[in-house]
Amino acid sequence: MEWTVIALLLAWSLAVGLDLVSLGQFMLARPLVAGPVAGWILGDPATGMMVGVILELFALEVLPLGAARYADYGLGAVAGAATAGGSPGVLGIGLGIGVALLVAWLGDLSIYAVRRANSADVKRCRGALDAGDMNTITGLHFRGLLRDAVRALAVTAVGLLLAHGVRRWSPVGLEEAVLVSVVTIGVALATAGTAGLRLSRGGRGIGWLAAGVAAGTLWLVVW
Amino acid sequence: MLTAAARLFAVQGSWNYERLQGIGAAVAIEPLLRDLPGGVGGEAYRSAMRRAAEFFNTHPYLAGLALGAVARAEHTGVAGKQIERLRSILKGPLGSVGDRLVWVGALPIASALGVSLVALGRPLVGVLVFLGAFNAVHLGIRFWGLGTGWRLGVSVARALSTPAFHFGMKYAGPIAALAVGFALPLVAVWLTAGFALNAKIGVAGVVVVGAILARWIVPRLGAARFGLGAIVLTLLGGAIWP
Repeated sequence: MEWTVIALLLAWSLAVGLDLVSLGQFMLARPLVAGPVAGWILGDPATGMMVGVILELFALEVLPLGAARYADYGLGAVAGAATAGGSPGVLGIGLGIGVALLVAWLGDLSIYAVRRANSADVKRCRGALDAGDMNTITGLHFRGLLRDAVRALAVTAVGLLLAHGVRRWSPVGLEEAVLVSVVTIGVALATAGTAGLRLSRGGRGIGWLAAGVAAGTLWLVVW
Repeated sequence: MLTAAARLFAVQGSWNYERLQGIGAAVAIEPLLRDLPGGVGGEAYRSAMRRAAEFFNTHPYLAGLALGAVARAEHTGVAGKQIERLRSILKGPLGSVGDRLVWVGALPIASALGVSLVALGRPLVGVLVFLGAFNAVHLGIRFWGLGTGWRLGVSVARALSTPAFHFGMKYAGPIAALAVGFALPLVAVWLTAGFALNAKIGVAGVVVVGAILARWIVPRLGAARFGLGAIVLTLLGGAIWP
Protein backbone atom coordinates (compact mmCIF):
# COMPACT_ATOMS: atom_id res chain seq x y z
CA MET A 1 0.00 0.00 0.00
CA GLU A 2 1.44 3.38 -1.00
CA TRP A 3 2.07 6.08 1.59
CA THR A 4 -0.34 8.49 -0.11
CA VAL A 5 -3.09 5.86 0.12
CA ILE A 6 -2.30 5.26 3.81
CA ALA A 7 -2.34 9.02 4.45
CA LEU A 8 -5.71 9.39 2.68
CA LEU A 9 -7.17 6.43 4.60
CA LEU A 10 -6.01 7.95 7.90
CA ALA A 11 -7.49 11.32 6.95
CA TRP A 12 -10.81 9.69 6.05
CA SER A 13 -10.71 7.65 9.29
CA LEU A 14 -10.24 10.84 11.27
CA ALA A 15 -13.47 12.23 9.80
CA VAL A 16 -15.23 8.90 10.30
CA GLY A 17 -14.01 8.38 13.88
CA LEU A 18 -14.95 11.88 15.02
CA ASP A 19 -18.33 11.70 13.30
CA LEU A 20 -19.35 8.61 15.30
CA VAL A 21 -19.99 10.51 18.55
CA SER A 22 -17.90 13.64 19.01
CA LEU A 23 -18.33 15.85 15.99
CA GLY A 24 -21.26 16.12 13.62
CA GLN A 25 -22.94 12.72 13.66
CA PHE A 26 -23.76 13.22 9.98
CA MET A 27 -23.50 9.41 9.65
CA LEU A 28 -20.20 9.47 7.76
CA ALA A 29 -19.30 6.86 10.38
CA ARG A 30 -21.90 4.43 9.04
CA PRO A 31 -20.20 1.62 7.11
CA LEU A 32 -22.48 2.26 4.14
CA VAL A 33 -20.57 5.54 3.71
CA ALA A 34 -17.17 4.73 5.26
CA GLY A 35 -16.70 1.46 3.31
CA PRO A 36 -17.22 2.71 -0.27
CA VAL A 37 -15.11 5.85 0.29
CA ALA A 38 -12.28 3.70 1.71
CA GLY A 39 -12.68 1.37 -1.28
CA TRP A 40 -12.51 4.33 -3.64
CA ILE A 41 -9.28 5.53 -1.99
CA LEU A 42 -7.88 2.01 -2.36
CA GLY A 43 -8.93 1.84 -6.02
CA ASP A 44 -11.59 -0.84 -5.46
CA PRO A 45 -14.92 0.91 -4.71
CA ALA A 46 -16.98 -2.21 -5.50
CA THR A 47 -15.34 -4.25 -2.74
CA GLY A 48 -15.52 -1.28 -0.39
CA MET A 49 -19.24 -1.07 -1.09
CA MET A 50 -19.75 -4.78 -0.42
CA VAL A 51 -17.83 -4.54 2.86
CA GLY A 52 -19.85 -1.43 3.73
CA VAL A 53 -23.22 -3.04 3.03
CA ILE A 54 -22.41 -6.19 5.05
CA LEU A 55 -21.21 -4.12 8.00
CA GLU A 56 -24.28 -1.89 7.66
CA LEU A 57 -26.39 -5.01 8.26
CA PHE A 58 -24.45 -5.59 11.50
CA ALA A 59 -24.72 -1.89 12.41
CA LEU A 60 -28.53 -1.97 12.17
CA GLU A 61 -28.42 -3.68 15.54
CA VAL A 62 -26.84 -0.61 17.18
CA LEU A 63 -29.19 1.60 19.19
CA PRO A 64 -26.96 4.33 20.68
CA LEU A 65 -29.32 5.06 23.57
CA GLY A 66 -28.21 7.08 26.57
CA ALA A 67 -24.69 6.23 27.69
CA ALA A 68 -24.53 3.05 25.58
CA ARG A 69 -21.22 2.00 24.04
CA TYR A 70 -21.17 0.37 20.65
CA ALA A 71 -18.82 -1.01 18.03
CA ASP A 72 -17.13 1.49 15.73
CA TYR A 73 -18.23 -0.02 12.41
CA GLY A 74 -16.98 3.00 10.42
CA LEU A 75 -13.32 2.45 11.31
CA GLY A 76 -14.00 -1.28 10.89
CA ALA A 77 -15.22 -0.63 7.34
CA VAL A 78 -11.98 1.18 6.48
CA ALA A 79 -9.87 -1.73 7.76
CA GLY A 80 -12.23 -4.26 6.12
CA ALA A 81 -11.97 -2.55 2.75
CA ALA A 82 -8.17 -2.46 3.11
CA THR A 83 -8.18 -6.22 3.79
CA ALA A 84 -10.61 -7.27 1.06
CA GLY A 85 -9.67 -4.73 -1.63
CA GLY A 86 -8.22 -6.22 -4.79
CA SER A 87 -9.30 -9.81 -4.04
CA PRO A 88 -11.32 -11.41 -6.84
CA GLY A 89 -15.10 -11.75 -6.33
CA VAL A 90 -16.16 -12.40 -2.76
CA LEU A 91 -12.95 -14.24 -1.83
CA GLY A 92 -11.65 -11.45 0.37
CA ILE A 93 -15.02 -10.54 1.86
CA GLY A 94 -15.11 -13.05 4.73
CA LEU A 95 -11.63 -12.22 6.00
CA GLY A 96 -12.20 -8.51 5.34
CA ILE A 97 -15.33 -8.56 7.49
CA GLY A 98 -13.46 -10.57 10.14
CA VAL A 99 -10.80 -7.85 10.40
CA ALA A 100 -13.50 -5.15 10.25
CA LEU A 101 -15.45 -6.66 13.16
CA LEU A 102 -12.28 -7.00 15.24
CA VAL A 103 -11.41 -3.34 14.57
CA ALA A 104 -15.01 -2.30 15.31
CA TRP A 105 -14.74 -4.03 18.68
CA LEU A 106 -11.37 -2.36 19.34
CA GLY A 107 -13.11 0.90 18.50
CA ASP A 108 -15.71 0.18 21.17
CA LEU A 109 -12.99 -0.45 23.78
CA SER A 110 -11.12 2.68 22.71
CA ILE A 111 -14.26 4.82 23.16
CA TYR A 112 -14.46 3.55 26.73
CA ALA A 113 -10.79 4.50 27.30
CA VAL A 114 -11.36 8.01 25.92
CA ARG A 115 -14.42 8.52 28.13
CA ARG A 116 -12.47 7.37 31.18
CA ALA A 117 -9.66 9.80 30.34
CA ASN A 118 -12.21 12.62 29.89
CA SER A 119 -13.73 11.73 33.28
CA ALA A 120 -10.33 11.91 35.00
CA ASP A 121 -9.74 15.28 33.33
CA VAL A 122 -13.11 16.59 34.57
CA LYS A 123 -12.37 15.37 38.11
CA ARG A 124 -9.05 17.25 38.09
CA CYS A 125 -10.79 20.47 37.03
CA ARG A 126 -13.74 20.27 39.43
CA GLY A 127 -12.82 23.46 41.33
CA ALA A 128 -12.59 25.62 38.19
CA LEU A 129 -15.81 24.08 36.82
CA ASP A 130 -17.67 24.94 40.01
CA ALA A 131 -16.49 28.52 39.57
CA GLY A 132 -17.93 28.61 36.01
CA ASP A 133 -14.51 29.23 34.45
CA MET A 134 -14.98 29.28 30.66
CA ASN A 135 -11.31 28.70 29.84
CA THR A 136 -11.36 25.47 31.83
CA ILE A 137 -14.60 24.35 30.17
CA THR A 138 -13.24 25.09 26.68
CA GLY A 139 -9.93 23.37 27.49
CA LEU A 140 -11.70 20.23 28.68
CA HIS A 141 -13.83 20.17 25.55
CA PHE A 142 -10.93 20.51 23.13
CA ARG A 143 -8.87 17.91 24.96
CA GLY A 144 -11.85 15.55 24.68
CA LEU A 145 -12.07 16.14 20.93
CA LEU A 146 -8.31 15.69 20.59
CA ARG A 147 -8.42 12.37 22.48
CA ASP A 148 -11.14 11.12 20.14
CA ALA A 149 -9.11 12.17 17.10
CA VAL A 150 -6.06 10.30 18.40
CA ARG A 151 -8.30 7.31 19.15
CA ALA A 152 -9.60 7.25 15.56
CA LEU A 153 -6.11 7.42 14.09
CA ALA A 154 -4.69 4.79 16.47
CA VAL A 155 -7.52 2.30 15.86
CA THR A 156 -7.20 2.81 12.09
CA ALA A 157 -3.43 2.32 12.23
CA VAL A 158 -3.97 -1.00 14.05
CA GLY A 159 -6.65 -1.90 11.49
CA LEU A 160 -4.36 -1.20 8.55
CA LEU A 161 -1.55 -3.26 10.13
CA LEU A 162 -3.99 -6.13 10.63
CA ALA A 163 -5.16 -5.79 7.03
CA HIS A 164 -1.56 -5.88 5.82
CA GLY A 165 -0.81 -8.96 7.94
CA VAL A 166 -3.89 -10.86 6.80
CA ARG A 167 -3.30 -10.07 3.12
CA ARG A 168 0.35 -11.07 3.32
CA TRP A 169 0.37 -14.10 5.60
CA SER A 170 -3.17 -15.51 5.66
CA PRO A 171 -2.99 -19.31 5.24
CA VAL A 172 -6.69 -19.48 4.25
CA GLY A 173 -7.25 -21.43 1.04
CA LEU A 174 -9.85 -20.90 -1.68
CA GLU A 175 -12.55 -23.19 -0.28
CA GLU A 176 -12.11 -21.85 3.23
CA ALA A 177 -12.31 -18.25 1.97
CA VAL A 178 -15.62 -19.02 0.25
CA LEU A 179 -16.92 -20.79 3.39
CA VAL A 180 -16.01 -17.80 5.58
CA SER A 181 -17.77 -15.47 3.13
CA VAL A 182 -20.90 -17.67 3.20
CA VAL A 183 -20.98 -17.67 7.01
CA THR A 184 -20.27 -13.91 7.20
CA ILE A 185 -23.07 -12.97 4.81
CA GLY A 186 -25.50 -15.36 6.54
CA VAL A 187 -24.70 -14.00 10.00
CA ALA A 188 -24.98 -10.39 8.77
CA LEU A 189 -28.43 -11.05 7.29
CA ALA A 190 -29.52 -12.85 10.47
CA THR A 191 -28.33 -9.94 12.62
CA ALA A 192 -30.19 -7.41 10.46
CA GLY A 193 -33.34 -9.54 10.69
CA THR A 194 -33.03 -9.60 14.47
CA ALA A 195 -32.58 -5.82 14.46
CA GLY A 196 -35.75 -5.51 12.38
CA LEU A 197 -37.60 -7.60 14.95
CA ARG A 198 -36.37 -5.33 17.72
CA LEU A 199 -37.45 -2.22 15.81
CA SER A 200 -40.93 -3.68 15.35
CA ARG A 201 -40.98 -4.37 19.11
CA GLY A 202 -41.82 -8.07 18.45
CA GLY A 203 -45.39 -9.21 19.17
CA ARG A 204 -47.93 -7.75 16.75
CA GLY A 205 -45.29 -5.43 15.36
CA ILE A 206 -43.59 -8.41 13.73
CA GLY A 207 -46.21 -8.04 10.99
CA TRP A 208 -44.44 -4.88 9.79
CA LEU A 209 -41.16 -6.76 9.33
CA ALA A 210 -42.93 -9.65 7.62
CA ALA A 211 -44.78 -7.22 5.33
CA GLY A 212 -41.44 -5.64 4.40
CA VAL A 213 -39.86 -9.00 3.61
CA ALA A 214 -42.91 -9.92 1.50
CA ALA A 215 -42.74 -6.59 -0.38
CA GLY A 216 -39.00 -7.00 -1.02
CA THR A 217 -39.49 -10.54 -2.28
CA LEU A 218 -42.37 -9.42 -4.51
CA TRP A 219 -40.15 -6.65 -5.92
CA LEU A 220 -37.50 -9.23 -6.80
CA VAL A 221 -40.06 -11.50 -8.48
CA VAL A 222 -41.79 -8.74 -10.47
CA TRP A 223 -38.64 -6.80 -11.49
CA MET B 1 -27.39 31.92 17.64
CA LEU B 2 -25.50 30.53 14.62
CA THR B 3 -22.33 30.03 16.69
CA ALA B 4 -24.32 28.14 19.31
CA ALA B 5 -25.97 26.04 16.57
CA ALA B 6 -22.55 25.21 15.10
CA ARG B 7 -21.13 24.28 18.51
CA LEU B 8 -24.07 21.96 19.14
CA PHE B 9 -22.61 19.62 16.50
CA ALA B 10 -19.83 18.91 19.02
CA VAL B 11 -22.04 18.66 22.10
CA GLN B 12 -20.67 15.14 22.77
CA GLY B 13 -17.05 16.05 22.05
CA SER B 14 -15.98 15.73 25.69
CA TRP B 15 -18.45 13.03 26.78
CA ASN B 16 -17.39 11.65 30.18
CA TYR B 17 -18.77 9.54 33.02
CA GLU B 18 -18.72 12.48 35.49
CA ARG B 19 -21.03 14.94 33.70
CA LEU B 20 -21.86 13.08 30.46
CA GLN B 21 -22.65 15.86 27.91
CA GLY B 22 -22.35 18.65 30.50
CA ILE B 23 -19.07 20.17 29.29
CA GLY B 24 -20.16 20.10 25.63
CA ALA B 25 -23.50 21.63 26.59
CA ALA B 26 -21.73 24.52 28.33
CA VAL B 27 -19.49 25.16 25.31
CA ALA B 28 -22.53 25.14 23.00
CA ILE B 29 -24.70 27.46 25.08
CA GLU B 30 -21.91 29.95 25.89
CA PRO B 31 -22.47 32.32 22.91
CA LEU B 32 -26.08 32.79 24.07
CA LEU B 33 -24.95 33.81 27.56
CA ARG B 34 -22.38 36.46 26.62
CA ASP B 35 -24.83 39.36 26.83
CA LEU B 36 -26.13 38.51 30.30
CA PRO B 37 -25.97 41.48 32.74
CA GLY B 38 -22.31 42.15 33.56
CA GLY B 39 -21.10 40.63 30.29
CA VAL B 40 -18.48 37.88 29.90
CA GLY B 41 -16.83 37.26 33.26
CA GLY B 42 -19.68 38.89 35.19
CA GLU B 43 -21.40 37.13 38.09
CA ALA B 44 -24.51 36.20 36.04
CA TYR B 45 -22.36 34.79 33.24
CA ARG B 46 -20.19 32.70 35.58
CA SER B 47 -23.19 31.35 37.49
CA ALA B 48 -24.89 30.43 34.21
CA MET B 49 -21.72 28.72 32.94
CA ARG B 50 -21.39 26.79 36.19
CA ARG B 51 -24.95 25.49 35.82
CA ALA B 52 -24.45 24.80 32.10
CA ALA B 53 -21.43 22.56 32.77
CA GLU B 54 -23.29 20.38 35.30
CA PHE B 55 -24.41 16.80 34.60
CA PHE B 56 -26.49 16.69 31.42
CA ASN B 57 -27.48 13.95 29.00
CA THR B 58 -30.13 13.83 26.33
CA HIS B 59 -30.46 12.99 22.67
CA PRO B 60 -27.67 14.99 20.97
CA TYR B 61 -29.93 16.26 18.17
CA LEU B 62 -32.55 17.56 20.61
CA ALA B 63 -30.03 19.00 23.09
CA GLY B 64 -30.56 22.40 21.45
CA LEU B 65 -34.20 22.44 22.51
CA ALA B 66 -33.24 22.12 26.18
CA LEU B 67 -30.20 24.39 25.95
CA GLY B 68 -32.07 27.10 24.02
CA ALA B 69 -34.78 27.06 26.70
CA VAL B 70 -32.17 27.22 29.48
CA ALA B 71 -30.38 30.16 27.80
CA ARG B 72 -33.70 32.02 27.46
CA ALA B 73 -34.48 31.31 31.12
CA GLU B 74 -31.07 32.73 32.13
CA HIS B 75 -31.89 35.92 30.20
CA THR B 76 -35.38 36.31 31.70
CA GLY B 77 -34.01 36.16 35.25
CA VAL B 78 -35.47 32.81 36.27
CA ALA B 79 -33.99 31.63 39.58
CA GLY B 80 -30.92 29.37 39.38
CA LYS B 81 -32.60 26.44 41.18
CA GLN B 82 -35.51 26.62 38.76
CA ILE B 83 -33.15 26.56 35.76
CA GLU B 84 -31.38 23.50 37.16
CA ARG B 85 -34.78 21.84 37.56
CA LEU B 86 -35.74 22.76 33.99
CA ARG B 87 -32.57 21.08 32.65
CA SER B 88 -33.20 18.07 34.78
CA ILE B 89 -36.84 17.73 33.77
CA LEU B 90 -36.18 18.13 30.04
CA LYS B 91 -33.31 15.72 29.52
CA GLY B 92 -35.26 12.48 30.06
CA PRO B 93 -38.25 13.15 27.78
CA LEU B 94 -36.06 14.70 25.07
CA GLY B 95 -33.75 11.69 25.19
CA SER B 96 -36.68 9.33 24.86
CA VAL B 97 -38.30 11.26 21.99
CA GLY B 98 -34.99 11.62 20.14
CA ASP B 99 -34.09 7.96 20.55
CA ARG B 100 -37.47 6.90 19.21
CA LEU B 101 -37.55 9.35 16.28
CA VAL B 102 -33.91 9.19 15.22
CA TRP B 103 -32.19 5.97 16.33
CA VAL B 104 -35.28 3.73 16.05
CA GLY B 105 -36.89 5.62 13.15
CA ALA B 106 -34.94 7.87 10.79
CA LEU B 107 -31.59 6.05 10.92
CA PRO B 108 -32.72 2.48 10.15
CA ILE B 109 -35.23 3.77 7.57
CA ALA B 110 -32.53 5.79 5.73
CA SER B 111 -30.07 2.91 6.08
CA ALA B 112 -32.53 0.35 4.66
CA LEU B 113 -33.37 2.73 1.82
CA GLY B 114 -29.70 3.25 0.99
CA VAL B 115 -28.83 -0.44 1.18
CA SER B 116 -31.84 -1.33 -1.01
CA LEU B 117 -30.74 1.13 -3.71
CA VAL B 118 -27.21 -0.31 -3.63
CA ALA B 119 -28.64 -3.80 -4.01
CA LEU B 120 -30.75 -2.60 -6.94
CA GLY B 121 -27.59 -1.51 -8.78
CA ARG B 122 -27.49 2.17 -7.78
CA PRO B 123 -24.50 2.29 -5.38
CA LEU B 124 -23.75 6.02 -5.51
CA VAL B 125 -27.45 6.95 -5.38
CA GLY B 126 -27.88 4.61 -2.41
CA VAL B 127 -25.15 6.29 -0.38
CA LEU B 128 -26.33 9.80 -1.31
CA VAL B 129 -29.99 9.01 -0.56
CA PHE B 130 -28.96 7.56 2.81
CA LEU B 131 -26.97 10.67 3.75
CA GLY B 132 -29.53 13.08 2.27
CA ALA B 133 -32.62 11.49 3.83
CA PHE B 134 -31.05 11.08 7.25
CA ASN B 135 -29.46 14.51 7.41
CA ALA B 136 -32.65 16.24 6.27
CA VAL B 137 -34.23 14.93 9.49
CA HIS B 138 -31.05 15.44 11.52
CA LEU B 139 -30.42 19.08 10.55
CA GLY B 140 -34.12 19.91 10.69
CA ILE B 141 -34.35 18.67 14.29
CA ARG B 142 -31.14 20.42 15.37
CA PHE B 143 -31.98 23.88 14.02
CA TRP B 144 -35.69 23.66 14.90
CA GLY B 145 -34.73 22.56 18.42
CA LEU B 146 -32.40 25.42 19.28
CA GLY B 147 -34.68 28.06 17.74
CA THR B 148 -37.79 26.69 19.45
CA GLY B 149 -36.07 26.34 22.82
CA TRP B 150 -34.82 29.91 22.63
CA ARG B 151 -38.30 31.16 21.62
CA LEU B 152 -40.34 29.25 24.22
CA GLY B 153 -38.00 29.35 27.23
CA VAL B 154 -39.51 27.66 30.30
CA SER B 155 -42.64 26.77 28.26
CA VAL B 156 -40.54 24.56 25.97
CA ALA B 157 -42.46 21.37 26.87
CA ARG B 158 -45.27 22.67 24.61
CA ALA B 159 -43.04 21.97 21.61
CA LEU B 160 -43.19 18.23 22.27
CA SER B 161 -46.98 18.04 22.13
CA THR B 162 -47.25 18.64 18.38
CA PRO B 163 -49.05 15.98 16.23
CA ALA B 164 -45.87 15.37 14.20
CA PHE B 165 -44.06 14.15 17.32
CA HIS B 166 -46.96 11.91 18.32
CA PHE B 167 -47.11 10.39 14.84
CA GLY B 168 -43.35 9.88 14.77
CA MET B 169 -43.27 8.27 18.21
CA LYS B 170 -46.04 5.86 17.26
CA TYR B 171 -44.94 4.81 13.77
CA ALA B 172 -41.13 5.30 13.62
CA GLY B 173 -40.35 1.75 14.80
CA PRO B 174 -42.90 -0.10 12.65
CA ILE B 175 -41.95 1.86 9.50
CA ALA B 176 -38.27 1.12 10.20
CA ALA B 177 -39.07 -2.59 10.57
CA LEU B 178 -40.98 -2.45 7.26
CA ALA B 179 -38.01 -0.78 5.53
CA VAL B 180 -35.48 -3.24 6.98
CA GLY B 181 -37.72 -6.15 5.97
CA PHE B 182 -37.94 -4.77 2.43
CA ALA B 183 -34.15 -4.44 2.18
CA LEU B 184 -33.32 -7.94 3.45
CA PRO B 185 -34.30 -10.06 0.38
CA LEU B 186 -32.81 -7.49 -2.03
CA VAL B 187 -29.48 -7.45 -0.19
CA ALA B 188 -29.45 -11.23 0.20
CA VAL B 189 -29.82 -11.69 -3.58
CA TRP B 190 -27.22 -8.99 -4.33
CA LEU B 191 -24.61 -10.36 -1.91
CA THR B 192 -24.99 -13.95 -3.11
CA ALA B 193 -25.20 -13.15 -6.84
CA GLY B 194 -21.78 -14.67 -7.55
CA PHE B 195 -22.34 -17.81 -5.44
CA ALA B 196 -22.97 -21.35 -6.68
CA LEU B 197 -26.30 -22.95 -5.66
CA ASN B 198 -24.81 -24.93 -2.75
CA ALA B 199 -23.22 -21.76 -1.34
CA LYS B 200 -26.58 -19.97 -1.60
CA ILE B 201 -28.23 -22.83 0.28
CA GLY B 202 -25.42 -22.54 2.84
CA VAL B 203 -26.14 -18.82 3.33
CA ALA B 204 -29.85 -19.59 3.84
CA GLY B 205 -28.94 -22.20 6.46
CA VAL B 206 -26.64 -19.78 8.29
CA VAL B 207 -29.40 -17.14 8.23
CA VAL B 208 -31.86 -19.52 9.94
CA VAL B 209 -29.39 -20.76 12.59
CA GLY B 210 -27.90 -17.26 12.96
CA ALA B 211 -31.31 -15.65 13.51
CA ILE B 212 -32.07 -18.10 16.34
CA LEU B 213 -28.67 -17.56 17.98
CA ALA B 214 -28.62 -13.79 17.34
CA ARG B 215 -31.76 -13.19 19.40
CA TRP B 216 -29.98 -14.74 22.36
CA ILE B 217 -26.34 -13.70 21.85
CA VAL B 218 -26.50 -10.22 20.24
CA PRO B 219 -28.23 -8.46 23.17
CA ARG B 220 -25.49 -9.82 25.48
CA LEU B 221 -22.33 -9.52 23.35
CA GLY B 222 -23.27 -7.13 20.55
CA ALA B 223 -23.37 -7.88 16.82
CA ALA B 224 -19.64 -7.32 16.23
CA ARG B 225 -18.54 -10.00 18.68
CA PHE B 226 -21.31 -12.31 17.48
CA GLY B 227 -20.12 -12.01 13.87
CA LEU B 228 -16.47 -12.25 14.87
CA GLY B 229 -17.17 -15.41 16.89
CA ALA B 230 -18.92 -17.01 13.90
CA ILE B 231 -15.96 -16.23 11.61
CA VAL B 232 -13.36 -17.50 14.10
CA LEU B 233 -15.34 -20.73 14.64
CA THR B 234 -15.56 -21.23 10.87
CA LEU B 235 -11.81 -20.73 10.46
CA LEU B 236 -11.09 -23.10 13.37
CA GLY B 237 -13.52 -25.65 11.92
CA GLY B 238 -11.81 -25.38 8.55
CA ALA B 239 -8.40 -25.90 10.17
CA ILE B 240 -9.52 -28.93 12.20
CA TRP B 241 -11.57 -30.61 9.45
CA PRO B 242 -9.79 -29.70 6.23
